[in-house]
Amino acid sequence: MADTATIERVRAALAGIEHQVLAPRDGMPSLALLLSNLKDALRALRSRAGFETATFVTAVDRYGKTPRFELVHQLLSLTHNDRVRLHTAVGENESAPTCTDLWPGAAYMERECFDMFGLRFSGHAGLKRLLMPEEYGHHPLRKDFPHQGIEPDRLYREWDRERRKDWHPEAAR
Amino acid sequence: MGPLSAPNPPDAGSPALRASDEAADHGFFATRIDALINWGRKNSLWPMPLGLSCCGIELMAMIGPKFDISRFGAEAARFSPRQCDLLVVAGTLTWKMAAAARLVYDQMPEPKWVIAMGVCSSSGGMYDSYAVVQGVDSILPVDVYVPGCPPRPDAVIDAILKLQTKIARERPLAYLLAGPGVSDERGSGELTYQPNAAVPKSVHDLHPHDPRARRG
Repeated sequence: MADTATIERVRAALAGIEHQVLAPRDGMPSLALLLSNLKDALRALRSRAGFETATFVTAVDRYGKTPRFELVHQLLSLTHNDRVRLHTAVGENESAPTCTDLWPGAAYMERECFDMFGLRFSGHAGLKRLLMPEEYGHHPLRKDFPHQGIEPDRLYREWDRERRKDWHPEAAR
Repeated sequence: MGPLSAPNPPDAGSPALRASDEAADHGFFATRIDALINWGRKNSLWPMPLGLSCCGIELMAMIGPKFDISRFGAEAARFSPRQCDLLVVAGTLTWKMAAAARLVYDQMPEPKWVIAMGVCSSSGGMYDSYAVVQGVDSILPVDVYVPGCPPRPDAVIDAILKLQTKIARERPLAYLLAGPGVSDERGSGELTYQPNAAVPKSVHDLHPHDPRARRG
């Protein structure tokens, strides 16, 4: 059950920022925000509502809809022992504001988001791929990505060949 | 430790067998060098446990006292590939791990054998995914496949026994005398993508959420 006290605190912190309270799912209060307001809202929640921790930054691909992606932030307040979830619609060609200046630990999660969905975060210091090879060029968690992959072996093969060249130059194939 | 058996034992009354009987009386025995080498190899398999996921747990149980593969001479698990001759790929092999697995195999000295333990390493298993190698036989020459998710230790012991019968059929001396021109099938070492052929490749698979490709 979403705690009404949490929602009241969050709404008080977000005074003056356009937002919409969604039906709570799995006991976590949820809000919908606009992309243009996202940075202000995050800053307000960090400073005024006591959410010291960003536990999760991820995205959902709503394939076929516009805007296509949905950015999801999950925040945790250690002082008040509660959480909040923020949904923000992001288009395919838009870039979301980073929250690494507020929560430095979110850097890896934003990198994963970029790797898996192709979402770009403006202001992120080192936005490069986290899991897939850097030259991969595809985003595996997009819904139009084939589940068996697009040439999954090619880049690893080249990487492996380059690596072997350093060790045994005479045996390089 | 079974008796050394040649594939074609001579007749009981043949001169060769009589000669070997006489030698046995004096503390000698006669056999073929192939059979002797194979006997030594198959009864002292040193496994390299490449435990990549949950199959590794069953592998540990197999090495442990309850199932005890030391009964079959294969308990000396070494964590250096230089000392091993049996690579047990236990678990899901991802493409990121594939180069490392191939490197482990390349570092093992000849002769060497590979067991693909579990469905993930045999065929990719339920991970029909861009990140998982669809069967380690894409990159390694596999001798025995063990189905199961994960297989029981008994099943892997059975695989080791099957591998022992396979080793007993080998002809190491002929291989040794054939010179450097003849080599076993060891694979090229290239990482090649072999998609799971059992899965149909259709527009629906490529775009599962496209309403135009939805099946009726």
